[in-house]
Amino acid sequence: MKNRASSHLLIIFIIIGLEIVGYLGVHRAAALRGYETSVIGGVRDLLMFIPLIILVLWLSRSKHFIGNWVLFTTAILLFSFGMLVQYRLYSDPEYNARNKAAAREEKMQALRTRYIMENYDPVKKQMMGLPPTPAQPIQVSQIPQKPSNYSLWNALTSSYTWIPIFSFLALAIAYSLCSRDGFLLWLQRNSFIIVLFTLVPLAGAVVTSSAGKALGNMTPWEPSKIPFLIGFAGILTARYKDLAETYWGIPRAKDIIPLLVMAAMPFVPFFALKDFGQMLIFSGAYTTLYLVAVRRWPQLLLFVGSIVVVISILVVGALPRDIQEKVPLLPTLARPISAALPSRIQQRFHLWLDGFDPPSPEVSWWKKDYEEALQSDPRLKELAEQSPAMQKAVNIDIWFDKLAFQPAQAVFGIAAGRTSGRGFGLGFPEVIPIADSDYVYAAIAEETGLLGGAMVILAVIIFVIAGVRTSLESRDMFTKLCAAGLTAFVGFQALVNIGGILRALPMTGITLPFVSHGGFSLITSFAMLGMLLAFSNRNARDRVIAEIPAVKSSSSPLKLEAVQ
Amino acid sequence: MNPVLTALLLFQSPSPSPTPVVDALERMPALFTIIYVAGFGFIILLLFLSLLRSRKRPPATAAIPADLPKEVRKRLGSASTNRGLRALRWLFILLAFGLFGFHIYWARYAAEDNETFQQLSYKDLRMRRLSESTLRGWILDRSGRLDQPLAYYKRDSTGEIQREYPMDKAMAHLFGSDRGDPGLERALFGTQSGALPEAWDVVRRRTQEFKGNQDVRLTIDRNLQQAAVDQLKGKHGAVVVLNPQTGEVLALYSEPSYSLSEVSDEATWIRLESNERDKPLVSRALGAYYIPGSTFKTVTMTAAFLAGEQDTEFTCSGGGYYAAPGANVIYDDGGAGEVHGRIGIDQAYEVSCNQYFAQMGVKLGPERLKRAAQLLGIGTYDTPVEALRGRKQPEIWNGSTDAVKRALAPREATIVTGKQVTRYDLALMGYGQGYAGQMTPLQMSLAAAAIGNTEGKLMKPKIEYKLPPQVFNQVMPAATAEKLRSIMGLVTGGPSGTARGVFAPVKAAGINTGGKTGTAQKVVPVYDPKTGEPKRQHKVERDNRGNIIREYDEVVMDEEHPRIDGWFLCIAPLEKPQLAIAVIVEGGGYGSRSAAPIAAALVLKARDLGYFSGVKPATPAKKTVK
Repeated sequence: MKNRASSHLLIIFIIIGLEIVGYLGVHRAAALRGYETSVIGGVRDLLMFIPLIILVLWLSRSKHFIGNWVLFTTAILLFSFGMLVQYRLYSDPEYNARNKAAAREEKMQALRTRYIMENYDPVKKQMMGLPPTPAQPIQVSQIPQKPSNYSLWNALTSSYTWIPIFSFLALAIAYSLCSRDGFLLWLQRNSFIIVLFTLVPLAGAVVTSSAGKALGNMTPWEPSKIPFLIGFAGILTARYKDLAETYWGIPRAKDIIPLLVMAAMPFVPFFALKDFGQMLIFSGAYTTLYLVAVRRWPQLLLFVGSIVVVISILVVGALPRDIQEKVPLLPTLARPISAALPSRIQQRFHLWLDGFDPPSPEVSWWKKDYEEALQSDPRLKELAEQSPAMQKAVNIDIWFDKLAFQPAQAVFGIAAGRTSGRGFGLGFPEVIPIADSDYVYAAIAEETGLLGGAMVILAVIIFVIAGVRTSLESRDMFTKLCAAGLTAFVGFQALVNIGGILRALPMTGITLPFVSHGGFSLITSFAMLGMLLAFSNRNARDRVIAEIPAVKSSSSPLKLEAVQ
Repeated sequence: MNPVLTALLLFQSPSPSPTPVVDALERMPALFTIIYVAGFGFIILLLFLSLLRSRKRPPATAAIPADLPKEVRKRLGSASTNRGLRALRWLFILLAFGLFGFHIYWARYAAEDNETFQQLSYKDLRMRRLSESTLRGWILDRSGRLDQPLAYYKRDSTGEIQREYPMDKAMAHLFGSDRGDPGLERALFGTQSGALPEAWDVVRRRTQEFKGNQDVRLTIDRNLQQAAVDQLKGKHGAVVVLNPQTGEVLALYSEPSYSLSEVSDEATWIRLESNERDKPLVSRALGAYYIPGSTFKTVTMTAAFLAGEQDTEFTCSGGGYYAAPGANVIYDDGGAGEVHGRIGIDQAYEVSCNQYFAQMGVKLGPERLKRAAQLLGIGTYDTPVEALRGRKQPEIWNGSTDAVKRALAPREATIVTGKQVTRYDLALMGYGQGYAGQMTPLQMSLAAAAIGNTEGKLMKPKIEYKLPPQVFNQVMPAATAEKLRSIMGLVTGGPSGTARGVFAPVKAAGINTGGKTGTAQKVVPVYDPKTGEPKRQHKVERDNRGNIIREYDEVVMDEEHPRIDGWFLCIAPLEKPQLAIAVIVEGGGYGSRSAAPIAAALVLKARDLGYFSGVKPATPAKKTVK
């Protein structure tokens, strides 16, 4: 396949075709499962492809984009999958209705009545207290259709309409800005000030947020990733040669200290925001950048070693008590660590390492939730007070109803999906809270199985390969590092998100890039995509310059266009 | 009317097994899902090809001025930063595939291999959704009548469709609920039987095999089951009734039981689960260990016949029997006063002589006991620790799926036959004490059933009506089985049989039976009368300096007032047994007084139900002679 706008436009048309197939599947499954899909919502989603096609045309016609289209198409592919999963989830009243129990009951009743009408013979129907009619297969047309209550007004005011549009705008803006060499140079020179200015609104976010979220379930500090990255790339570009000059494997203090200050900057607000997922991603991206720019073996070892130490300290501190006691000296080591670790981290680590086993109700971070549950249900409280055995049983129940509910339901869903999934609309991802953003991979794994999961992971891998290629082809350090950093952000974010759901890593509450449509994260992802596209285009132009022998390497891009 | 049309209409009349039409409707969304994922894969392939193609393009290093020497150009091209980037790319790909490995584990292996995952599957809301939405089949008793189901659906006054259990408590242990270990309900219809359809299966119409919604006819006789419930009312105990010829389970009940409708409430479930005194959630017939007492003599006797020792006589003296110098003396229940003299095996079995079977146990030795035990399905282990482990024994069942076998799996009854077993241990085992103390009521009913089978075969127990009978073991030749039956007949019919009085009405009704009484003392914990919790004592262990080595809570055992469990095994009618019964009554006292009357009542009930109609009793002939 050629790297031409027309070829990739064709792929986008194939994606639209697939989306229509997917929406029809969800629509039919919804009829079978006793709920209604909204035509308006479906059309709205499909209309999203119009701005995307306009974007392709704008890039190729107006901007003469000759960079790597694979980046763009892969992102759109992931985006469309996410859109379909969200459509399926929000069609199900059980997922977002206020009264979930009533919505569920209605679904069940519809299913059961249909089953009995179709399969029970008159004797059985009479036993049940129903009119004895013979068993007859029901046609789809016979299933009563309920009107969807999703109106045009809902669609126009929904955040799911506007966030993608803002994301596309962000892409266009990021692309236009970053294709200017002057802007890039300005960014590189003023990177430190940019970072400082980013800290100001973040401080405001720290004050207003709670539990790593603000404005309901949003993370408005998500876009700050980009300026932080630019800052780090900028200072690394300026200093990487000096940093490589080491004495006994250690760079000079006057080189390393500014870098460390810059690197620590995002961690302060994110720690205060309790957004540990972002911290994890920043650590991954910054380590990547440093290792790419400064390749010295002792430092590599130092880096890897310190990461291992930090992780093992965290793990040791968060290990469940009974496992600690099996290893001599471990409890003594772990006590000060677990006293120092924030309770949120301890809780996430427990869910990761020992999620099927509730902690004892005496554990500090669990005690509050446990007692709250007892307060709200006096019957449980009475039971728990009867005996230790009873208290244990009550503890397990509260654990799976509260903290472990979401991860456990996600894992059960993944197990239910098996290889080819249950089919769109035929699984039960609606029982997983926030399955449309943080836990979108669990919903995908349940309804499309291992195959669907493999597709998402392969798409992320292709995106990363394309991003790394952009970085490889870059000829100046700043764009090289920026491209590597952006790719690392997207790649690590996907790994951390999927790993958290699959219990390979602790769950951190960050989104799957492009697939989750959770507000600011989608806008940020598309802005990052815009930057990557701009860098890719720049590289391609550089190559064109080199391939034309008549033009000297000092010629300006303006002249180049004339040559084309 | 068109004759062809008439014929078609005839074929449309209700068929016994409904075809799952639902799947046909679900095919379309399933197919669309497969198309979507396949299309996605196709695009991924195209993008990958595109990446490969662009790799062949000259690298950006072409922009390096061409007039530089070739070597310099090469060095500039493979900058160290790029090498690092390439390495990190491969690292990322490796990590991503590693994550996918986790996905494979959860999707393919967790449900089968991860024990915690299985235990917690009742926390899976999907399972409850599925069991609520796809209606399970109805469960019918052995009559197969739709109007007398054991489990069915009913529409209540509000129009809601609810699963109903007309016999509720009577079938609770067999059926099980959505919580805890799966019972027949989940094994026959549940998602655990692996029948959950994937999109691919739906597309290929493979879900026709889904049995989750077909009616199941059990071998349980609702009348006999109800009789067992009535007989055990207010006691703690269990009843197992088998057909020794086919292995069909006719009744299986454990008291105290619980109500299936009540345990849908979480708090009730928790309360029942933590009730350590009554353990209402545990089926005593399958999951509880009892000391078999004299009923184990049936096994010892079988072993003696298999070993050819059936003609050996032993002396039962007033001085008791010393298995080894210094060992405790073995008396009969009546103490030193009960003296049977030199007797043979038939008489010893009839009067239930402990001294005889103790000596027989020693004479047989571990190897020959082991052989007989294994033929009867009893596990034999080398050490007491292994024997107490209580492995589940699903393989003893004749079931349609592994899930059914697992749901009904009894704890494996065990004896110890290792090298360290002493003569005294053998003597104790010979009459059902000591290392033979891990028997389940189901296992004891199987020991009786092997003798009750006219060909001397032990049939695997089965509960699904449609399954053909399966042989577990050819335990003994048919002639031996007949001889053993006549010896068992002495217990209920002989001049000094231990259950003679209780079975007099049965005999009067013209039914010849065989049986064996048993009584065993078991030391049990002291329970707090208020909470029902076992009493615990805080113990502190100190070394000789007075430092605390460890502290622990120990359950206080009531050594002075052991619980006396009564047993009874029964086969009826003796000519061609249709029933093999095992009854245990916890704390009931002597087996002949507590358990035997229950068995007698069940035999009479079975007669009323017509189970013996095909068997001509020999008694009337004898009566005419008299």
